[in-house]
Amino acid sequence: MRARIWSPGGLTERVKKLRDQYFSFENRPTNEVIAYTTGAPWDEVFSYHDWGVVPEMFPFLPAIRDSLKVLAMKVDLPEGFWKESLPVRRAIFFRRVIEEHLPVRILDGELIVGFHFNTALSKCFTKEEAEEWRRAEERWFRRVVELSDLGVMNCGAIPGHIIPNYRKVVERGFRGIRDELLQWMERHTDEAKRDYVRAMVIAVEAVKRFAERYAEEAERLAASEEDEVRRAELLEIARICRKVPWEPAETFWEALQSLWFAHMLVMAAESYPGPGLSYGRLDQYLYAYYKKDVDEGRLTREFAKELLCCFWIKHDYAYDYMGKIGNQGINSGFGQLITIGGMNKDGSDAVNELTWLILEVAYEMNMLEPKLNVRVHKNISRSFLLKMCEVLARTQGSPFLINFDEPSMRGLMWEGIPEDEVWDYACVGCLENTLQGKDRSGTVDVNINLAKSLELVFGRGRDLKTGKMIGVKTKDPRKFKSYEEFEEAYFAHLKKCIEVTLSLASEADAIRARWEPVPYLSALVDGCAEKGIDVRQGGAIYNFITVEGVGLATVADSLAAVKKLVFEEREVSMEELVEAIKRNFEGFDELQRRLLFKAPKFGNDDDYVDEIARKVSRFWTQEVFKHVSPATGRRFRGGYLSWNYFIDFAPKTAATPDGRPRGKFLSNGVQPVQGMDRKGPTAVIRSVGKLGLETAPNGASLVITLNPSSVRDEEHLEKLAALLLACCDLGVTNLQVNMLSPEVLREAQRKPEEYRNLLVRVTGYNAYFVTLGREQQEEIIARTCHGL
Amino acid sequence: MKRGIVFSIQRFSTEDGPGIRTTVFMKGCPLRCIWCQNPEGLNPRPELVWYDVRCIGVRACIKACKVGALRLDEDGLHIDRSRCTACGACVKACPTGALEIIGTEYDVKSLVDEVLRDMVFYKTSRGGVTFSGGEPMLQSSFLAEVLPVLKDHGVHVALDTSGFAPWREFEKILGWIDLVLYDLKLMDVAKHIEFTGVDPTLIWENAVNLAKRGVRMWIRTPIIPGITDSEENVRAITRFIIDNLPTVERFELLAFNNLCISKYKRLGMKFLLEKARLMKREEMENLVRVAREEGFGNVMWSGMVERDVR
Repeated sequence: MRARIWSPGGLTERVKKLRDQYFSFENRPTNEVIAYTTGAPWDEVFSYHDWGVVPEMFPFLPAIRDSLKVLAMKVDLPEGFWKESLPVRRAIFFRRVIEEHLPVRILDGELIVGFHFNTALSKCFTKEEAEEWRRAEERWFRRVVELSDLGVMNCGAIPGHIIPNYRKVVERGFRGIRDELLQWMERHTDEAKRDYVRAMVIAVEAVKRFAERYAEEAERLAASEEDEVRRAELLEIARICRKVPWEPAETFWEALQSLWFAHMLVMAAESYPGPGLSYGRLDQYLYAYYKKDVDEGRLTREFAKELLCCFWIKHDYAYDYMGKIGNQGINSGFGQLITIGGMNKDGSDAVNELTWLILEVAYEMNMLEPKLNVRVHKNISRSFLLKMCEVLARTQGSPFLINFDEPSMRGLMWEGIPEDEVWDYACVGCLENTLQGKDRSGTVDVNINLAKSLELVFGRGRDLKTGKMIGVKTKDPRKFKSYEEFEEAYFAHLKKCIEVTLSLASEADAIRARWEPVPYLSALVDGCAEKGIDVRQGGAIYNFITVEGVGLATVADSLAAVKKLVFEEREVSMEELVEAIKRNFEGFDELQRRLLFKAPKFGNDDDYVDEIARKVSRFWTQEVFKHVSPATGRRFRGGYLSWNYFIDFAPKTAATPDGRPRGKFLSNGVQPVQGMDRKGPTAVIRSVGKLGLETAPNGASLVITLNPSSVRDEEHLEKLAALLLACCDLGVTNLQVNMLSPEVLREAQRKPEEYRNLLVRVTGYNAYFVTLGREQQEEIIARTCHGL
Repeated sequence: MKRGIVFSIQRFSTEDGPGIRTTVFMKGCPLRCIWCQNPEGLNPRPELVWYDVRCIGVRACIKACKVGALRLDEDGLHIDRSRCTACGACVKACPTGALEIIGTEYDVKSLVDEVLRDMVFYKTSRGGVTFSGGEPMLQSSFLAEVLPVLKDHGVHVALDTSGFAPWREFEKILGWIDLVLYDLKLMDVAKHIEFTGVDPTLIWENAVNLAKRGVRMWIRTPIIPGITDSEENVRAITRFIIDNLPTVERFELLAFNNLCISKYKRLGMKFLLEKARLMKREEMENLVRVAREEGFGNVMWSGMVERDVR
């Protein structure tokens, strides 16, 4: 039974070649960004706010903007272009580019085509528009840089991070979408809205010609192709490209080709290389095509797998965007995410043969993109769950993330999504919960440093390094009579930081909404056509901007240390603590250790500190939910992404009362502070469960690391499966499971204090790694290298 | 209200019975197996230990000690165990957690509360709580109060025992035990006395009695090179199981490991097997084969073996 649904027979020669080609430095085509301009001297092709959450790139943004402008190719404009509205201009420009300019390229052997999609498209501004936009953008950017440098936040209006209604593209074709738009225009008289919907029609119609260019290229290649098999393939590719994505797909191959064209053109239209642009539940909406082809004898499982592999590797070329404009600081993946598994509307399990096949492809391809997220719920197929656990156990880095349906759905209902829709949610980027095809939740638009407000308590509102006023004026902490006063001051600063942050996020949202409509994407998001407004103006049915909180456990541990050691046990005086924080613990070694090792720590299922963590989490997430971005009506919602801001904010945040010196990383996602969880994965899961994460509907990142020996055979894989199922009950929304690696153990040898929690297990034997003698440590490391 | 003394509570325990378990290690043991992996479980009283990697040498502990049991020199902290009363004053004074009292007293409620924390995991995994040690039977009266409460909560309870306790102690708790993990170490009486310090006759009698009472059992044998690893020993244990213990469901061979050296050092004890070799994979596989040939099917091995040199 299992052999039939799981047959990791390895990759075919074709796929291996495509993979090798991707990884080779020579003979490899690159999908570098190509800029296109109207030729107007005031033209712009690059927005700072697209990159507002990548602070390490800030110093380079002006240079990138200017060099893209210099390198931009001029696009001939049709007559009357400048008389059109901005959305229509942008639609015409997009159409010109993809119909005539964007290079067409088919790689040797590939079955899914569509190569160049990294663009920097003209903003199509008139001179006046350009000036106004530039003023707004620069004013906003100055302020963001200032607050980012102070470690308060970063924010932008980030493209991608959405699941377009790809199902609709596959099932009805762009023709069907266009026809709906035309019907809408017949029914409506509002001129401005009709004009906007016309822009959508123009953008959507361009897809037909774009795909035909690929058909022509395939025919050209077929004419000179000597290999008969390949010639036949090329002719089939040509046939398919003349059909989809304009017409509905009828076969599995057509559906994949249709999807890829639709997807790559979103990246082209947004001039953004794909972070967070996600597919939703691919195994669900492609299953009918797969099943029909297989049942009717047109498709074997092997060929379906090969097609999927060809589809898979296309996504990795998104990284070529970096070639020309330098490192973006994005080094761990763009997050074009595919969601599989999950439940049906009635709560029954949705795993099908395609779910298995996609997991197999992800496992064997082992590429950075696309990423995979598996939805797990209480009724998930037992055999699939066990296979998933086996894949986790046998690979070093986690090949996929897991989202837990019950807690994730609770969060979405909390933010107002109707109960009969949440079952069909899917994830964006890594773990961010949204609906499919009708939801813009801006999942990385805003990142706030929750730990900064601790510093502000000690600085009485001021940044300790620069003296700049950030928070509100609060009492001298040495005069606090109780822990409650300390906590109150913390929340007062946090509230102020939230207000400042959200006003800047709203500003970015407003700039983008006013100046940068993207009609092509809007046509793929339900609600935009009906409302006659762009997805960037709040056109989607569900509109949110997600604020990701950074440093939750650092804050909880800090507050717990103050409460316990200063106010309850009086082991530490506030005078001393204030001095120690201001001097970054220099000369306060003993005090620092007391804070580090004598106070309760989040992640140990200790109610004392877990309750503080819950209070903080619920405070800030409910606070942001009160706010709405005025320009678009998008409501702010909370979440805990695991991005690298725990690094970026670290040097910008003063020492914290949990014993952390300036510069040491903040906690990540809802993760305990590095090394502070000492009671194993069940305790961590319970601590996180106590947060009440429904108020963070985006979802929250948690990573656990297991010993290879604890998942060594089927009996133990069952235990891992049970651990995952418990997450559904306990309210964890997302989990990544890693296996303990030799690298981690080496790091633990170097920094034993940060790895006091590291438990090594050799079947029946357990010990904290750092308390072992050197010889035994070496032995464990050597064993871990061999997977034990 | 009775109190028990526990030296460790380990959650997400995956080696002490079915499912995800919490293992409660009870302090105190009548045996002195020379391969003992948990020397901190031998002494029934709390003991002070010092972790060199955590110490920063501020001597707060020495100032705090009222009986003068502590001394710090270049070799580290010396604990005069004849004076130390494990009062915990030094532990409280130490800013870094370098000192620890091993052995915590629990009353029934606090222990029950603690082990119920992972109830959700027991349910999804069909796991539960295992009482191990040390020798948990030394604290059977305490267990007799804890176990009924756990059973009221529907918790699966396993007992991991050496079997060395008067039968009446087993009688006190048998009604609440779902599974016994039972050690059979050596079938040669003289060797058993030599390497564990006790006569095995009582252990064997108790095993037979447990089986007669219909208690489900897993037999566990530590495979110690040169001591318990002979084919003859494994065959004899298997024979004993087949002939006397019809309720045994599985037979686990646990390969010796030497990772406990640092624990011995911290307790000021000597580990006699410090230089002993590890078992080889083939040897373990061979012993599994021996047991199967003898007629018991469900045999498995785990633990540390010599690394394959590649």
